[in-house]
Amino acid sequence: MDSKKIGKFFDSIGDFFTGADSIPWCESDIVLGCEREVIAAEKDSSEEFKSECRLRLSWALVHSKRPEDVQRGIAMLEAALPSTSDPLQMREKMYLLAVGYFRSGDYSRSRQLADRCLEIAPDWRQAITLKKSIEDRIKKDGVIGIGIAATALGAVGLVAGGLAAALSRKK
Amino acid sequence: MESSGGSEFDYLFKLLMIGDSGVGKSSLLLSFTSDTFEDLSPTIGVDFKVKHVTIGGKKLKLAIWDTAGQERFRTLTSSYYRGAQGIIMVYDVTRRETFTNLSDIWAKEIDLYSTNQDCIKMLVGNKVDKESERVVTKKEGIDFAREYGCLFIECSAKTRVNVEHCFEELVLKILDTPSLTAEGSTTVKKSNIFNQKPPVSDASTSGCC
Repeated sequence: MDSKKIGKFFDSIGDFFTGADSIPWCESDIVLGCEREVIAAEKDSSEEFKSECRLRLSWALVHSKRPEDVQRGIAMLEAALPSTSDPLQMREKMYLLAVGYFRSGDYSRSRQLADRCLEIAPDWRQAITLKKSIEDRIKKDGVIGIGIAATALGAVGLVAGGLAAALSRKK
Repeated sequence: MESSGGSEFDYLFKLLMIGDSGVGKSSLLLSFTSDTFEDLSPTIGVDFKVKHVTIGGKKLKLAIWDTAGQERFRTLTSSYYRGAQGIIMVYDVTRRETFTNLSDIWAKEIDLYSTNQDCIKMLVGNKVDKESERVVTKKEGIDFAREYGCLFIECSAKTRVNVEHCFEELVLKILDTPSLTAEGSTTVKKSNIFNQKPPVSDASTSGCC
């Protein structure tokens, strides 16, 4: 068990540098396919089928590699959420919205949504993975932030030190 | 088979898990990647996990894609067949329809969407821990596998019986198939941001004499 933990620790260090996360990506042709489906469904399909197509498109958009797709997915889900009454659909959309915010770098909003998903379904593995990815990312940004702050402090210290030395020499 | 951490590897293999909703694809994956078992909520769209292992003397990075079994996600999940070197078809030995759907749905999906002609297929009968509720016999599984040219194993994600064995056997077969490990194949690479090495040149010459 201990060696496994150590292994995981090193794995996470690897992830730290490569920035690997465990949320899948979606190619742009898949987005396009889902888009066509939605357009085709608008003509003469049942409301249920239309909403299924839209859910698939929003899945594809928030998992897309292109930031503009992710933004569009977020907008789509934000617009759809208020009119969603079915609890299962609601939590699916909340999860997808959390993925969208995660990918667009809005970690605090993403975490809020992931937490709400986990309140509804504590054993929801995908939401747990997402939350872990968010926390890893926040930690990583924090470490980089501390690094920048430390460098800045070091520079200030150097200048101050130089000044002090110069002043003491004058005396 | 041993787990190996780190980001260096000889091959990256893409494996895909398909099958009806509730047969235990995600549980199987979780059982394999993190030694745990839980009753899980249905997968939304597609999920994936990465595991580093050493099998047959090769360091491997397995990217295992877990698809939603629910029909409403099918057009989405079908896009993830492309490039897979191995496809795991899962059914539940206690639910007959999950077995009959293999030939009615899943084998057809593979024919339609798989892009790797030589891709290795594996049939997995899950939930053998519920032996008293079993309705699909082992013989039926073996016969199906023979007809469709797949590997076959019965396992339990819950007790972890045969779970590692399942992935190990699939990967060994992939390693044994030159076209799936050949250099130039898009998914074969050995790279690491700290240690960029040229690709291994004798990639496909290993194996038997």
